[in-house]
Amino acid sequence: MVLLVLTAMTATAKILQPLINMSANVKAAQRLGEVARHMLLYAGKPADWGRNAQTIPEEFGLAETEASNPYALDIDKVSRLNSENIYGLSYAQIYTSLKAADLSFRIEIKPVFNVKVNQTATFEDSNETTYTFEVATEKDDGAPVSAVLKAYVLTENLLQALTIQNVDGRTSFNITLPKDLESPAVLVAFAKSTYNDRVVSYAVYSLTSSSGTTSKRGFLRLSPINHTLTVTPISNETILEKVYALTFNGVWQPTKTENHTFSIPASVDPCPTVLVAFGSHATQSFVEWTAYPQIPVEVGVDFTSLLSISDVYAYTSLVSVGRGIYKCTIFIGGLKP
Amino acid sequence: MKGRNSGQIRIIEAFLAIFIIFSAVAISANLPTKSPNPANDSLASIGMQALLQLDSDGSLHVYIASGNWSRLREALNLLLPAGVSFNLRVYDAQMRQINMETVSNGGFNSQEITLVKYVCTGRSPEFRCYVIYLYLAVAK
Repeated sequence: MVLLVLTAMTATAKILQPLINMSANVKAAQRLGEVARHMLLYAGKPADWGRNAQTIPEEFGLAETEASNPYALDIDKVSRLNSENIYGLSYAQIYTSLKAADLSFRIEIKPVFNVKVNQTATFEDSNETTYTFEVATEKDDGAPVSAVLKAYVLTENLLQALTIQNVDGRTSFNITLPKDLESPAVLVAFAKSTYNDRVVSYAVYSLTSSSGTTSKRGFLRLSPINHTLTVTPISNETILEKVYALTFNGVWQPTKTENHTFSIPASVDPCPTVLVAFGSHATQSFVEWTAYPQIPVEVGVDFTSLLSISDVYAYTSLVSVGRGIYKCTIFIGGLKP
Repeated sequence: MKGRNSGQIRIIEAFLAIFIIFSAVAISANLPTKSPNPANDSLASIGMQALLQLDSDGSLHVYIASGNWSRLREALNLLLPAGVSFNLRVYDAQMRQINMETVSNGGFNSQEITLVKYVCTGRSPEFRCYVIYLYLAVAK
Protein backbone atom coordinates (compact mmCIF):
# COMPACT_ATOMS: atom_id res chain seq x y z
CA MET A 1 0.00 0.00 0.00
CA VAL A 2 2.79 2.43 1.01
CA LEU A 3 4.65 1.51 -2.16
CA LEU A 4 1.55 2.25 -4.22
CA VAL A 5 1.09 5.69 -2.61
CA LEU A 6 4.78 6.59 -3.05
CA THR A 7 4.70 5.51 -6.69
CA ALA A 8 1.54 7.54 -7.30
CA MET A 9 3.08 10.62 -5.64
CA THR A 10 6.31 10.32 -7.65
CA ALA A 11 4.43 9.88 -10.91
CA THR A 12 2.16 12.86 -10.14
CA ALA A 13 5.17 15.02 -9.28
CA LYS A 14 6.90 14.00 -12.52
CA ILE A 15 3.81 14.83 -14.58
CA LEU A 16 3.12 18.14 -12.87
CA GLN A 17 6.70 19.45 -12.76
CA PRO A 18 6.83 20.77 -16.39
CA LEU A 19 3.39 22.37 -16.00
CA ILE A 20 4.46 24.12 -12.78
CA ASN A 21 7.68 25.31 -14.46
CA MET A 22 5.77 26.54 -17.54
CA SER A 23 3.38 28.46 -15.36
CA ALA A 24 6.31 30.12 -13.54
CA ASN A 25 7.95 31.04 -16.88
CA VAL A 26 4.70 32.51 -18.21
CA LYS A 27 4.30 34.57 -15.05
CA ALA A 28 7.90 35.80 -15.31
CA ALA A 29 7.37 36.75 -18.97
CA GLN A 30 4.15 38.58 -18.12
CA ARG A 31 5.83 40.51 -15.32
CA LEU A 32 8.76 41.53 -17.52
CA GLY A 33 6.31 42.53 -20.28
CA GLU A 34 4.52 44.77 -17.80
CA VAL A 35 7.84 46.40 -16.82
CA ALA A 36 8.64 47.03 -20.52
CA ARG A 37 5.17 48.54 -21.10
CA HIS A 38 5.56 50.68 -17.96
CA MET A 39 8.75 52.21 -19.39
CA LEU A 40 6.91 53.22 -22.57
CA LEU A 41 3.56 54.30 -21.12
CA TYR A 42 4.70 56.15 -17.96
CA ALA A 43 6.12 59.68 -18.15
CA GLY A 44 8.33 59.21 -15.09
CA LYS A 45 8.81 61.47 -12.11
CA PRO A 46 9.20 64.40 -12.58
CA ALA A 47 7.17 64.09 -15.75
CA ASP A 48 9.29 66.67 -17.59
CA TRP A 49 12.68 65.20 -16.67
CA GLY A 50 13.64 65.01 -20.35
CA ARG A 51 13.81 68.69 -21.12
CA ASN A 52 15.62 69.76 -17.94
CA ALA A 53 19.22 68.89 -18.60
CA GLN A 54 20.27 68.60 -14.96
CA THR A 55 17.27 66.57 -13.79
CA ILE A 56 17.82 62.92 -13.00
CA PRO A 57 14.45 61.16 -12.86
CA GLU A 58 13.32 59.71 -9.55
CA GLU A 59 11.13 57.27 -11.47
CA PHE A 60 11.91 56.19 -15.01
CA GLY A 61 9.44 56.49 -17.89
CA LEU A 62 9.80 57.58 -21.49
CA ALA A 63 6.26 58.62 -22.37
CA GLU A 64 5.45 62.14 -23.45
CA THR A 65 3.79 64.27 -20.77
CA GLU A 66 0.07 64.59 -21.50
CA ALA A 67 0.44 62.45 -24.63
CA SER A 68 -2.73 62.24 -26.70
CA ASN A 69 -1.86 58.72 -27.88
CA PRO A 70 -0.33 55.73 -26.13
CA TYR A 71 3.24 54.76 -27.03
CA ALA A 72 4.13 58.39 -27.80
CA LEU A 73 7.64 58.92 -26.44
CA ASP A 74 9.13 62.24 -25.42
CA ILE A 75 11.72 63.52 -27.90
CA ASP A 76 14.04 64.77 -25.11
CA LYS A 77 13.75 61.67 -22.91
CA VAL A 78 14.70 59.54 -25.91
CA SER A 79 17.63 61.86 -26.74
CA ARG A 80 18.86 61.62 -23.15
CA LEU A 81 19.20 57.85 -23.51
CA ASN A 82 21.94 58.44 -26.08
CA SER A 83 25.45 58.23 -24.62
CA GLU A 84 26.72 60.82 -27.17
CA ASN A 85 24.53 63.43 -25.49
CA ILE A 86 26.35 65.17 -22.62
CA TYR A 87 23.03 65.23 -20.75
CA GLY A 88 22.49 61.52 -21.38
CA LEU A 89 21.58 59.27 -18.45
CA SER A 90 24.00 56.54 -17.47
CA TYR A 91 22.80 52.95 -17.17
CA ALA A 92 23.19 53.20 -13.39
CA GLN A 93 20.90 56.25 -13.27
CA ILE A 94 18.23 54.52 -15.37
CA TYR A 95 18.59 51.32 -13.34
CA THR A 96 18.15 53.19 -10.06
CA SER A 97 15.15 55.15 -11.26
CA LEU A 98 13.46 52.03 -12.68
CA LYS A 99 13.29 50.67 -9.12
CA ALA A 100 13.47 47.02 -10.14
CA ALA A 101 16.64 45.81 -8.48
CA ASP A 102 16.39 42.24 -9.77
CA LEU A 103 16.24 43.21 -13.46
CA SER A 104 18.81 44.20 -16.02
CA PHE A 105 17.72 45.61 -19.36
CA ARG A 106 18.64 47.10 -22.69
CA ILE A 107 16.61 49.67 -24.65
CA GLU A 108 17.00 50.04 -28.42
CA ILE A 109 15.07 52.60 -30.47
CA LYS A 110 15.65 52.69 -34.20
CA PRO A 111 13.81 53.44 -37.43
CA VAL A 112 11.36 50.85 -38.77
CA PHE A 113 13.54 50.54 -41.87
CA ASN A 114 17.14 51.40 -42.70
CA VAL A 115 18.69 53.64 -45.33
CA LYS A 116 21.96 52.15 -46.59
CA VAL A 117 24.23 54.40 -48.62
CA ASN A 118 27.05 52.91 -50.70
CA GLN A 119 29.51 54.81 -52.84
CA THR A 120 29.85 52.57 -55.91
CA ALA A 121 32.04 54.65 -58.24
CA THR A 122 34.08 57.87 -58.48
CA PHE A 123 34.93 59.72 -61.72
CA GLU A 124 37.43 62.56 -61.69
CA ASP A 125 38.13 65.20 -64.31
CA SER A 126 40.25 68.32 -64.10
CA ASN A 127 37.82 70.40 -62.01
CA GLU A 128 35.17 68.12 -60.63
CA THR A 129 34.66 64.76 -59.01
CA THR A 130 31.50 62.76 -59.68
CA TYR A 131 30.42 60.26 -57.06
CA THR A 132 27.94 57.49 -57.80
CA PHE A 133 25.85 56.30 -54.88
CA GLU A 134 23.54 53.37 -54.44
CA VAL A 135 20.90 53.83 -51.78
CA ALA A 136 18.86 50.93 -50.43
CA THR A 137 15.84 51.29 -48.18
CA GLU A 138 15.12 48.00 -46.45
CA LYS A 139 13.90 46.42 -43.24
CA ASP A 140 16.19 44.49 -40.90
CA ASP A 141 15.36 41.23 -42.68
CA GLY A 142 16.39 42.74 -46.04
CA ALA A 143 12.84 43.24 -47.36
CA PRO A 144 12.87 46.32 -49.65
CA VAL A 145 10.81 49.33 -48.60
CA SER A 146 9.29 51.64 -51.15
CA ALA A 147 10.18 55.20 -50.18
CA VAL A 148 10.62 58.77 -51.34
CA LEU A 149 14.21 59.92 -50.88
CA LYS A 150 15.59 63.37 -50.34
CA ALA A 151 19.36 63.67 -50.49
CA TYR A 152 21.48 66.67 -49.56
CA VAL A 153 25.17 67.16 -50.19
CA LEU A 154 26.51 69.69 -47.77
CA THR A 155 29.88 71.33 -47.33
CA GLU A 156 30.67 74.40 -45.30
CA ASN A 157 29.67 76.70 -48.18
CA LEU A 158 27.85 74.51 -50.69
CA LEU A 159 24.50 72.76 -50.79
CA GLN A 160 22.95 70.44 -53.35
CA ALA A 161 19.55 68.77 -52.99
CA LEU A 162 17.96 65.88 -54.88
CA THR A 163 14.49 64.32 -54.58
CA ILE A 164 14.26 60.73 -55.77
CA GLN A 165 11.18 58.54 -56.03
CA ASN A 166 12.59 55.24 -54.91
CA VAL A 167 9.89 52.79 -55.97
CA ASP A 168 11.49 49.40 -55.43
CA GLY A 169 13.68 50.06 -52.43
CA ARG A 170 16.94 50.51 -54.35
CA THR A 171 18.17 53.39 -56.48
CA SER A 172 21.36 55.08 -57.59
CA PHE A 173 22.31 58.67 -58.38
CA ASN A 174 25.33 60.86 -59.13
CA ILE A 175 26.67 63.85 -57.28
CA THR A 176 29.26 66.19 -58.73
CA LEU A 177 31.45 68.31 -56.48
CA PRO A 178 34.28 70.75 -57.31
CA LYS A 179 37.73 69.34 -56.62
CA ASP A 180 38.94 72.40 -54.73
CA LEU A 181 36.64 71.99 -51.73
CA GLU A 182 38.17 73.37 -48.60
CA SER A 183 35.95 71.55 -46.15
CA PRO A 184 34.76 67.96 -45.92
CA ALA A 185 31.36 67.08 -47.36
CA VAL A 186 28.50 64.95 -46.13
CA LEU A 187 25.65 63.26 -47.90
CA VAL A 188 22.46 63.27 -45.82
CA ALA A 189 19.69 61.01 -47.13
CA PHE A 190 16.15 61.13 -45.72
CA ALA A 191 13.55 58.51 -46.60
CA LYS A 192 9.78 58.49 -46.11
CA SER A 193 7.74 55.37 -46.77
CA THR A 194 5.53 55.72 -49.83
CA TYR A 195 2.64 54.14 -47.93
CA ASN A 196 2.84 56.12 -44.70
CA ASP A 197 4.88 59.29 -44.48
CA ARG A 198 5.32 58.98 -40.70
CA VAL A 199 7.52 55.92 -41.19
CA VAL A 200 10.86 57.58 -41.76
CA SER A 201 14.57 56.90 -41.71
CA TYR A 202 17.81 58.66 -42.56
CA ALA A 203 21.51 58.08 -43.15
CA VAL A 204 24.58 60.29 -43.19
CA TYR A 205 27.55 59.44 -45.39
CA SER A 206 30.87 61.22 -45.08
CA LEU A 207 32.83 62.23 -48.20
CA THR A 208 36.55 62.92 -48.15
CA SER A 209 37.53 66.31 -49.49
CA SER A 210 40.30 66.77 -52.06
CA SER A 211 42.54 68.55 -49.59
CA GLY A 212 43.01 65.29 -47.75
CA THR A 213 41.14 66.29 -44.64
CA THR A 214 38.77 63.64 -43.46
CA SER A 215 35.44 63.74 -41.74
CA LYS A 216 36.16 62.32 -38.36
CA ARG A 217 33.87 62.19 -35.41
CA GLY A 218 35.25 63.04 -32.02
CA PHE A 219 36.19 66.73 -31.97
CA LEU A 220 32.78 67.86 -30.72
CA ARG A 221 29.95 66.54 -28.63
CA LEU A 222 26.59 67.50 -30.09
CA SER A 223 23.80 67.39 -27.53
CA PRO A 224 20.31 68.33 -28.71
CA ILE A 225 17.78 68.73 -25.92
CA ASN A 226 14.71 70.92 -25.38
CA HIS A 227 14.99 72.30 -28.94
CA THR A 228 18.49 73.56 -28.22
CA LEU A 229 21.73 72.16 -29.60
CA THR A 230 24.68 72.39 -27.24
CA VAL A 231 28.04 72.00 -28.96
CA THR A 232 30.90 71.03 -26.65
CA PRO A 233 34.42 71.11 -28.18
CA ILE A 234 36.80 68.53 -26.74
CA SER A 235 39.73 70.96 -26.61
CA ASN A 236 40.54 74.67 -26.84
CA GLU A 237 42.12 74.13 -30.27
CA THR A 238 38.77 73.08 -31.73
CA ILE A 239 37.02 75.89 -33.59
CA LEU A 240 33.37 75.62 -34.56
CA GLU A 241 32.75 77.22 -37.97
CA LYS A 242 29.15 76.59 -39.02
CA VAL A 243 26.11 74.59 -37.97
CA TYR A 244 23.32 73.51 -40.31
CA ALA A 245 19.98 71.87 -39.58
CA LEU A 246 18.50 69.60 -42.26
CA THR A 247 15.05 68.07 -42.52
CA PHE A 248 13.26 66.35 -45.37
CA ASN A 249 11.75 69.69 -46.36
CA GLY A 250 14.67 72.07 -46.06
CA VAL A 251 18.00 73.30 -44.74
CA TRP A 252 18.70 76.27 -42.51
CA GLN A 253 21.31 77.66 -40.15
CA PRO A 254 20.05 77.50 -36.57
CA THR A 255 20.09 80.72 -34.58
CA LYS A 256 22.97 81.01 -32.13
CA THR A 257 21.48 81.70 -28.70
CA GLU A 258 24.59 81.69 -26.51
CA ASN A 259 28.18 80.63 -26.93
CA HIS A 260 28.02 77.18 -28.58
CA THR A 261 24.25 76.78 -28.20
CA PHE A 262 21.83 76.93 -31.11
CA SER A 263 18.06 77.01 -31.25
CA ILE A 264 16.33 74.13 -33.09
CA PRO A 265 12.86 75.21 -34.28
CA ALA A 266 10.03 72.72 -33.68
CA SER A 267 9.56 70.76 -36.88
CA VAL A 268 6.25 69.46 -38.15
CA ASP A 269 8.11 67.02 -40.35
CA PRO A 270 8.11 63.38 -39.18
CA CYS A 271 11.77 63.01 -40.22
CA PRO A 272 14.37 63.76 -37.58
CA THR A 273 16.31 67.01 -37.84
CA VAL A 274 19.92 66.24 -38.76
CA LEU A 275 22.35 68.74 -37.24
CA VAL A 276 25.68 69.09 -39.05
CA ALA A 277 28.61 71.02 -37.56
CA PHE A 278 31.70 72.12 -39.52
CA GLY A 279 34.86 73.11 -37.72
CA SER A 280 38.59 72.77 -37.53
CA HIS A 281 41.03 71.30 -35.06
CA ALA A 282 44.59 72.61 -35.39
CA THR A 283 44.98 72.49 -39.20
CA GLN A 284 42.46 69.74 -39.82
CA SER A 285 38.91 70.55 -40.86
CA PHE A 286 36.14 68.21 -39.85
CA VAL A 287 32.42 67.68 -40.01
CA GLU A 288 30.28 66.02 -37.36
CA TRP A 289 26.59 65.40 -37.06
CA THR A 290 23.79 64.17 -34.89
CA ALA A 291 20.00 64.01 -35.13
CA TYR A 292 17.13 65.34 -33.05
CA PRO A 293 15.60 63.06 -31.75
CA GLN A 294 18.97 61.36 -31.22
CA ILE A 295 17.93 58.09 -32.83
CA PRO A 296 19.17 55.35 -33.23
CA VAL A 297 19.79 54.80 -29.56
CA GLU A 298 21.04 51.78 -27.64
CA VAL A 299 21.44 51.81 -23.89
CA GLY A 300 21.87 49.09 -21.31
CA VAL A 301 23.37 45.68 -20.83
CA ASP A 302 24.76 43.86 -23.85
CA PHE A 303 23.12 40.48 -23.29
CA THR A 304 24.82 38.87 -26.31
CA SER A 305 28.27 39.13 -24.77
CA LEU A 306 27.14 38.37 -21.25
CA LEU A 307 27.28 34.91 -19.76
CA SER A 308 23.96 35.61 -18.17
CA ILE A 309 22.41 33.41 -15.55
CA SER A 310 18.99 34.74 -16.45
CA ASP A 311 16.40 34.27 -19.15
CA VAL A 312 16.21 37.31 -21.41
CA TYR A 313 12.92 38.42 -22.95
CA ALA A 314 12.62 40.88 -25.86
CA TYR A 315 9.57 43.13 -26.25
CA THR A 316 9.21 45.00 -29.52
CA SER A 317 6.86 47.97 -29.74
CA LEU A 318 5.99 50.60 -32.30
CA VAL A 319 6.41 54.02 -30.78
CA SER A 320 6.08 57.57 -32.04
CA VAL A 321 8.77 60.14 -31.29
CA GLY A 322 7.86 63.58 -32.52
CA ARG A 323 5.69 62.76 -35.53
CA GLY A 324 7.78 59.81 -36.73
CA ILE A 325 7.12 56.13 -36.05
CA TYR A 326 10.02 54.07 -34.73
CA LYS A 327 10.67 50.57 -33.45
CA CYS A 328 11.58 50.13 -29.80
CA THR A 329 12.90 46.84 -28.45
CA ILE A 330 13.36 46.35 -24.73
CA PHE A 331 15.40 43.36 -23.62
CA ILE A 332 14.84 42.43 -19.98
CA GLY A 333 16.49 39.71 -17.99
CA GLY A 334 15.92 38.72 -14.42
CA LEU A 335 16.95 36.02 -12.05
CA LYS A 336 15.78 32.54 -12.94
CA PRO A 337 12.61 31.65 -11.05
CA MET B 1 -11.04 -10.74 15.54
CA LYS B 2 -8.37 -10.96 12.82
CA GLY B 3 -11.05 -10.98 10.10
CA ARG B 4 -12.68 -7.86 11.61
CA ASN B 5 -9.28 -5.98 11.57
CA SER B 6 -8.78 -7.02 7.99
CA GLY B 7 -12.18 -5.53 7.14
CA GLN B 8 -11.27 -2.23 8.80
CA ILE B 9 -8.05 -2.02 6.79
CA ARG B 10 -10.01 -2.65 3.60
CA ILE B 11 -12.33 0.28 4.48
CA ILE B 12 -9.34 2.57 5.18
CA GLU B 13 -7.82 1.45 1.88
CA ALA B 14 -11.04 2.25 0.09
CA PHE B 15 -11.18 5.73 1.64
CA LEU B 16 -7.52 6.29 0.72
CA ALA B 17 -8.17 5.17 -2.85
CA ILE B 18 -11.19 7.52 -3.09
CA PHE B 19 -9.05 10.36 -1.66
CA ILE B 20 -6.27 9.75 -4.22
CA ILE B 21 -8.76 9.60 -7.11
CA PHE B 22 -10.60 12.76 -6.02
CA SER B 23 -7.30 14.58 -5.43
CA ALA B 24 -6.19 13.67 -8.95
CA VAL B 25 -9.50 14.88 -10.37
CA ALA B 26 -9.36 18.11 -8.35
CA ILE B 27 -5.77 18.86 -9.40
CA SER B 28 -6.29 18.04 -13.07
CA ALA B 29 -9.44 20.16 -13.19
CA ASN B 30 -7.41 23.16 -12.06
CA LEU B 31 -4.63 22.61 -14.54
CA PRO B 32 -4.88 24.97 -17.51
CA THR B 33 -5.85 23.00 -20.61
CA LYS B 34 -3.74 25.37 -22.66
CA SER B 35 -1.15 27.58 -21.08
CA PRO B 36 -1.13 31.23 -22.20
CA ASN B 37 1.61 31.73 -24.74
CA PRO B 38 3.71 34.89 -24.21
CA ALA B 39 4.48 34.90 -27.95
CA ASN B 40 0.76 35.32 -28.72
CA ASP B 41 0.49 38.20 -26.23
CA SER B 42 3.47 39.85 -27.87
CA LEU B 43 1.93 39.37 -31.33
CA ALA B 44 -1.38 40.85 -30.21
CA SER B 45 0.46 43.77 -28.64
CA ILE B 46 2.45 44.63 -31.76
CA GLY B 47 -0.69 44.27 -33.91
CA MET B 48 -2.60 46.64 -31.65
CA GLN B 49 0.29 49.12 -31.68
CA ALA B 50 0.47 49.04 -35.50
CA LEU B 51 -3.24 49.92 -35.68
CA LEU B 52 -2.87 52.57 -32.96
CA GLN B 53 0.02 54.25 -34.78
CA LEU B 54 -1.88 54.25 -38.09
CA ASP B 55 -4.96 55.61 -36.34
CA SER B 56 -3.15 58.30 -34.32
CA ASP B 57 -2.94 60.71 -37.28
CA GLY B 58 -6.14 59.53 -38.99
CA SER B 59 -4.36 57.50 -41.71
CA LEU B 60 -6.27 54.33 -40.85
CA HIS B 61 -9.64 56.01 -41.36
CA VAL B 62 -8.45 57.57 -44.63
CA TYR B 63 -7.32 54.17 -46.00
CA ILE B 64 -10.66 52.59 -45.10
CA ALA B 65 -12.91 55.48 -46.20
CA SER B 66 -11.15 55.70 -49.56
CA GLY B 67 -11.06 51.92 -50.01
CA ASN B 68 -7.31 52.07 -50.51
CA TRP B 69 -6.74 48.48 -49.38
CA SER B 70 -3.39 48.04 -51.12
CA ARG B 71 -1.97 51.04 -49.26
CA LEU B 72 -3.32 49.72 -45.96
CA ARG B 73 -1.79 46.29 -46.69
CA GLU B 74 1.62 47.82 -47.47
CA ALA B 75 1.52 50.07 -44.39
CA LEU B 76 0.80 47.07 -42.14
CA ASN B 77 3.43 45.02 -43.94
CA LEU B 78 5.96 47.74 -43.15
CA LEU B 79 5.03 48.15 -39.51
CA LEU B 80 4.65 44.50 -38.52
CA PRO B 81 7.84 42.55 -37.87
CA ALA B 82 9.29 40.22 -40.47
CA GLY B 83 7.82 36.74 -40.39
CA VAL B 84 4.38 37.81 -39.21
CA SER B 85 1.44 36.90 -41.44
CA PHE B 86 -1.69 39.00 -41.21
CA ASN B 87 -5.21 39.12 -42.55
CA LEU B 88 -7.36 42.16 -41.91
CA ARG B 89 -11.12 42.47 -42.15
CA VAL B 90 -13.05 45.70 -41.82
CA TYR B 91 -16.70 45.75 -40.78
CA ASP B 92 -19.14 48.62 -40.51
CA ALA B 93 -21.22 49.32 -37.38
CA GLN B 94 -23.73 46.65 -38.45
CA MET B 95 -20.86 44.13 -38.78
CA ARG B 96 -21.11 43.92 -42.57
CA GLN B 97 -17.72 43.32 -44.11
CA ILE B 98 -16.52 46.34 -46.07
CA ASN B 99 -13.29 45.16 -47.64
CA MET B 100 -14.10 42.93 -50.56
CA GLU B 101 -10.42 42.86 -51.45
CA THR B 102 -8.18 40.67 -49.30
CA VAL B 103 -5.91 42.68 -47.02
CA SER B 104 -3.25 40.09 -46.27
CA ASN B 105 0.40 39.32 -46.88
CA GLY B 106 -0.06 35.61 -47.53
CA GLY B 107 -1.76 32.50 -46.25
CA PHE B 108 -1.56 31.37 -42.66
CA ASN B 109 0.37 28.15 -42.16
CA SER B 110 0.36 28.32 -38.39
CA GLN B 111 -2.00 26.67 -35.94
CA GLU B 112 -1.77 29.58 -33.52
CA ILE B 113 -3.67 32.61 -34.77
CA THR B 114 -4.03 35.75 -32.66
CA LEU B 115 -6.97 38.09 -33.13
CA VAL B 116 -6.79 41.83 -32.47
CA LYS B 117 -10.09 43.72 -32.41
CA TYR B 118 -9.95 47.47 -32.95
CA VAL B 119 -12.57 50.17 -33.34
CA CYS B 120 -11.70 53.05 -35.64
CA THR B 121 -13.75 56.21 -36.03
CA GLY B 122 -13.58 59.15 -38.37
CA ARG B 123 -15.43 62.42 -38.73
CA SER B 124 -14.88 63.44 -42.31
CA PRO B 125 -17.08 63.86 -44.21
CA GLU B 126 -19.46 62.37 -41.65
CA PHE B 127 -19.05 60.34 -38.47
CA ARG B 128 -18.27 56.70 -39.24
CA CYS B 129 -17.33 53.78 -37.10
CA TYR B 130 -15.44 50.72 -38.30
CA VAL B 131 -14.68 47.48 -36.50
CA ILE B 132 -11.36 45.97 -37.51
CA TYR B 133 -10.39 42.35 -37.02
CA LEU B 134 -6.68 41.79 -37.48
CA TYR B 135 -5.67 38.13 -37.54
CA LEU B 136 -1.97 37.52 -36.90
CA ALA B 137 0.25 34.46 -36.97
CA VAL B 138 3.94 33.77 -36.97
CA ALA B 139 4.88 32.44 -40.40
CA LYS B 140 6.58 29.03 -40.18
